[in-house]
Formats: sequence, C-alpha cells, structure tokens
Amino acid sequence: MNILSKITAIAIASATITLGSSQAWSAGSHDGGHGAKKNIGIPGKASEAMQTIEIKMLDNYYEPESISVKQGETVRFIIKNDGEFVHEFNIGTAAMHTAHQEEMMTMFEHGVLEADKINHDMMKMDMGNGKTMEHNDPNSILLEPGKSGEIVWKFNKAGKIEFACNIPGHYDAGMMGKIKFKS
Amino acid sequence: MINTKKFRRHSCIVAVFYLVMMPFTSIADVYNLTVDKVIIDTGKFKKQGIGYNGASPGPVLRMEEGENVTINVTNNLDEMTSIHWHGLILPYQQDGVPTISYDGIKPGETFTYKFPIVQSGTYWFHSHSGFQEPDGAYGSIVIKSKKREPFRYDRDYVVQLTDKHPHSGARIMRNLKTMPDYYNRQQQTITDFISDSETNGLGTTINDRMAWGDMRMMPADIEDVQGFTPLINGKGPNQNWTGLFKPGERIRLRFINSSAMTYFDIRIPGLKMTVVSADGNNVRPVKVDEFRIAVAETFDVIVQPKDDKAYTIFAESMGRSAFGRGTLAPRDGMVAEVPQLKKSPLLTMADMGMDHSNMKGMDHSNMKGMDHSKMKGMDHSKMKGMDHSKMKSQVDPFYAPGSGLTPNAGKDKKFLSYQDLKAQKQLYKHRAPTREIELRLTGNMERYIWSINGKKYEDEEEIRLQYGERVRFKFVNETMMSHPMHLHGMWSILDTGAGKWNPIKHTVSVAPGTTLYTETEVDAPGQWAFHCHLSYHAASGMFRKIVVVGGPKSALLNSITSKEPKV
Repeated sequence: MNILSKITAIAIASATITLGSSQAWSAGSHDGGHGAKKNIGIPGKASEAMQTIEIKMLDNYYEPESISVKQGETVRFIIKNDGEFVHEFNIGTAAMHTAHQEEMMTMFEHGVLEADKINHDMMKMDMGNGKTMEHNDPNSILLEPGKSGEIVWKFNKAGKIEFACNIPGHYDAGMMGKIKFKS
Repeated sequence: MINTKKFRRHSCIVAVFYLVMMPFTSIADVYNLTVDKVIIDTGKFKKQGIGYNGASPGPVLRMEEGENVTINVTNNLDEMTSIHWHGLILPYQQDGVPTISYDGIKPGETFTYKFPIVQSGTYWFHSHSGFQEPDGAYGSIVIKSKKREPFRYDRDYVVQLTDKHPHSGARIMRNLKTMPDYYNRQQQTITDFISDSETNGLGTTINDRMAWGDMRMMPADIEDVQGFTPLINGKGPNQNWTGLFKPGERIRLRFINSSAMTYFDIRIPGLKMTVVSADGNNVRPVKVDEFRIAVAETFDVIVQPKDDKAYTIFAESMGRSAFGRGTLAPRDGMVAEVPQLKKSPLLTMADMGMDHSNMKGMDHSNMKGMDHSKMKGMDHSKMKGMDHSKMKSQVDPFYAPGSGLTPNAGKDKKFLSYQDLKAQKQLYKHRAPTREIELRLTGNMERYIWSINGKKYEDEEEIRLQYGERVRFKFVNETMMSHPMHLHGMWSILDTGAGKWNPIKHTVSVAPGTTLYTETEVDAPGQWAFHCHLSYHAASGMFRKIVVVGGPKSALLNSITSKEPKV
C-alpha cells in the first residue's frame, strides 16, 4: 500500500465513522462525539405527532425558511424535493451541520453523491473497514429530485437548532432555516 | 349570440392588447447617463479621466428582468463616444460598438438605447471608443431576477475593480508601441542572472535566457502595464471603500473586474467565500478561500461574517505589482490588517507551451529555428475521460502543467478553478457542436502586436456564423500572456468537461500555453465584436468581427446591410 492510498483509506474511515448507520447515531458520534445531540431532540413516534410540517426543497432553498415548534412536541415532517438537485433536510446545531458538510464533501469526492443523483449501491459498499457511507441517521433525510420522505422528530428540549442542507455549498448559499421554540 | 361572440372577440383583443402592452407599460424605466470629463482621485494621484453622470466609476444601473429599458446617453465630450452593455443579450444595434453596431455618439448628441432585459445578475457597461474605458468610462449593472434566486442574502454590494494609471490610455498605447517593456518594472536584472547562474549553472541560465529572448518575452511579463493604482468602487487602497454589515448577515458581493489590463486574486482573510454566480449566470455554490478574476469577468460571492470586527477585501494583481483594498465592517472607520503581497510569480517554460521538466537534456540553442505556431499547448479535450471530481490537489487544468501562473491559496485552502464552475441551470439544451473554429491567440511582443491566427483585426475578414448552429471555438494561446476573450451578443459555454452543466460565460480567460474550448449557440442575428478584453491587446489587433447570417426575418431586415444607428 503506498502512502497515498493509505491516506485515502484513513480519510474514508474517518468519514464513515460518523456516516455509518444508526449505530453511529446511538454512539453519539454524528455530532463529533461531544454529546451535543441531547440539545436537538430524539427520534419520535408518528402516533405521537402533534404537528405535521410540510417542507418543500427547491434549488437551493426551502419553503418555508423557518419553522416553529413547542418544547416537548413531536413533529411529523413531510419533505418533498421539488428541485433539480439532490437536497438534504437535517436537524442539528450549526456545529453539527458544519461537521456533516465535510462528510458530504467526502461523499461527493467518492462519487457516492452526484449533483442530481444518489448512488445507493456505492453507499452500501463496505469501505474495507466494516463501515459504509450510508446516510440514514434519524435526524436527516437525503432526497433525489422528485422524491419525498418523512422524519418524525421529538423536540424534547429547546435549543439553538436549525434545519439545513449540507450538500457542498448549499448551507453557505442560504439553504438552512431556524427552528424557533414557541413558549 | 352574435353579440356575445362579438363581445368575446372584443374582450379577446383587449386581453391580447394588455398582454402585449403590459411589459411596456408596467415596467419600463428610463435611465439617463451623461458622458463627462471627470477628475479621478486614487489617493496616490489625481488624473483627468472620463466618467458617467460626473463620476468614475459611473452609477450602478439597477434593472429588472423583463423590463424594457430606455437609456439616454448624452455625450458631453469633444470626441465621439459609445456605451457597450457588457454581457447583456440584446439586439445588435443596441450593443454599442462603433462601426459594428452603430456609428457611435457624436459630441453634444444624445443617443437613446432601447432594449428588453432578458436576463438577471451582475454586469457592467463601458465605452467601446478609443481608450475611454481605461480612462475611466465604466459603470455597473445589477439586474434583479424575476424568480427567486437559488441563494439568500441580507445585503448586496457591487465591488468594481479597476486599474487607474497615471498615464492616459492613448499615451500608454504609444509607449507600448515604441517600447513594449516600457511599463514592465519587474524585468529580471543582472543580479537575477547571477543568482540563477549560481543555482542552475551558467550554461543553463544562458540557454534559458536565450530561449526567452527568442520568444520576445521576459519571464516577468505577466503584467505588461504596471504602475497603476487598483481601485475598488473608485477608491484607492488608502481611501478604503467600506461595506457595512451586522454580524451574522449574509452579504452578496458582486465583483466586477473593469480593469484595462489587470487580473486580480481576491481573498477576504478570515472569511470563506461561496461563489454563486459567474458572469451573471448562477453556478452551483462553491466555497473558496480565494479566486482569480480576469479582466471583464464578474463573480458573485456570499460571505457571512459572524464576528463584530472588520475584514479586509484584498485584491492583489496577478503579477503582484499592486493591490486593491476595501473593508467589510460593522461600523464606519474600522479597519483590519492588510496582508502583504504574495511573492510575484515568474512565467516558466510551461507558459511558453513547453513543459520545462522534460527539457533537461535539450539544447536550447536549437530553439532558434523552432516554429512556435506549431505549439498547440495543452489540449483540454483529451481530458474528457478524467474524473475531475476526484482531484483534490491544487492542480488547475486551466493552466499549463508547471505554469508559473497556477494559483495557489495555500495549505488546506481552496482557490477557485474554472473546473469548479457548474451551471445552476441549463440555458440551452446540451448538444454536439455543428462545427469547430480554431482561433490561435498570437502576438509579437517586440512590436506590441496582438493578433488572432497571426493576423490583426484590420488585416483579416470577419468570421461568419450561421444562425441556428452551435459553434465550438478552440482557443490556442500561443502567447505568454493570459487573454480574456469576450464574445458580444451570445453566450460562451465554457467546456470544463461537465457536459450539460458546463458554465455559461461572456468572457473566458485563456492561460498561456493552453487550449480552451467554448461553445456558442448562434441565436443572435446581426454583427458582433469578439476580442481580447485587455484594452491594449484589443486595440493592437486581437479583435474580430462576427457576422451571424440568417435568422428570424425581422432581425435580418435590420442586420448587416444597415449601417444607420437606430434610435
């Protein structure tokens, strides 16, 4: 193994630790292992949803651009991608989004993600360390153009959180919105 | 029944009438510009120049997509003038190039431009007469999009860069013609020669110098006109143009390079810039630390300063002979540290179209008889099969390998490449070109002649294109300078290998020793200018007239045969 491929392997390994699966989630590493996830809420049950919020993904922004929830509330998000590009809806802190943007960049660099396509087969590929590049954390959904999906999320604690698209460049161009807590 | 029918028909006519008239009546604005003699104060020197509405730069013309504009231009000079709307798609008679679009505007005369605005984004306008543009005759255009833009911002600033010289344009041209290195202050000296000889050996150094001499170029020939003061929105580095913000806000900066001759490398230490638009057309957002803006290009970036402090907008010239400086700050009067100029680059043999690294054993003295016209340089078309997305390094395929000009933002920092530009929306359906036209960018530095295919503008026929075709232009830069090539009236789709996502531009920079391709959907009847946007290169012959043959009858009636200016 030459140095270059070694570096690549290390890069992939470190990227997949956080992308890994729900295991990675439960290990709390999605946010870089600092335990910040407690601030953003927990996966919810659809039967307990008190509010349904429809989110439209467009190029490169959401409609609506901010939402309001109550502390303790379970929200069912119905998300539809009406754009021409792949977009993400991810609930997290600004710091979590920044970390996730680097992972997304890695996914683009390895061809797992393309501007208008998700290569699901590549996502499931073992990267040689038992990890994959699957994108299936419960606080996030990645959608191809025309596709829709759902997230049920319980906002058990109020905090400084945002929903965001972490496809390279999208967050910085303004594809993010504040989650406001009503009292 | 008959009555109802009549009524219906009548209401139909009324409806059609309103539909037709609506864009004219609801949004049709009148803009008035005067062309004036002005004093330009750079903070270093004061110089008489030309401006609009009493100032240089002229005003920001704020327009709206779908609007029909009327622009009255009054010439207060004692010489002919003209205004070209750089990057705007419009009928050719409104394009403002004397002898190609119309006769120009006589002293004391008011010329009225009328055209629909069919695009949005950041553009600019400038005189296309003599050296009025380098003398200060430029302004900016901001066109509001009809649709929601694919990005969000709280504030919006034009950042127009220019390179004001203490000499008038006409004087600079005269000096360059008599002595092409008149303004090149970075020429290598006998000290460089001795130091190179110590490093590389005397023989190599002599051979190297002889090769350069044969090219009639010097390795420091990156800027052939030095001694200018860069201005940002008309303000010199000490006058410090300042844009205000509140921490946390997104700011859209619309960079326009209205310089006569100068490319700039731009960064804002402490901030990442998200490039969202190039030459008025949106691109997929790409986050960078630094970007290079060729003469006549525009780039829109979004920055989000979060701290309550000042940030320096630093624009250093590509040859590092000068810098422009502005500030983003929460309050007026705040300043941030101004970085040092980076080391000035030297051109390498790669910029001659030769890879120096392979030339170790070569006897340079044999280069005398070499036919430089055969040097095709780098061919981007061969790179199709390469997966550019995998390239993480600072290698930029739009520079010759080993080129002294290859930009580098530093360790772990990203410098924007043309390779990163991907259209946010396709303007045209992607299709194979109908034919290819080769344009060799040529020059004779000793006589300061710049040409295309070895011929100056006045010595060569026009290029004839057929309406409806898709032409592929192959630019082969056989000179050692970068040339920002600008086609009027029609878009240049830059081939980066991204197929249907190739970015759409009005000006493309061709680096020394490289070959670059653009494709143009020939959809604008009439006659158009096509030239290098370096003022003194265009004026000395790197210029062509394009004639589009055929097309819609109404447009054809107005084209080619008509030499009369349309008012």
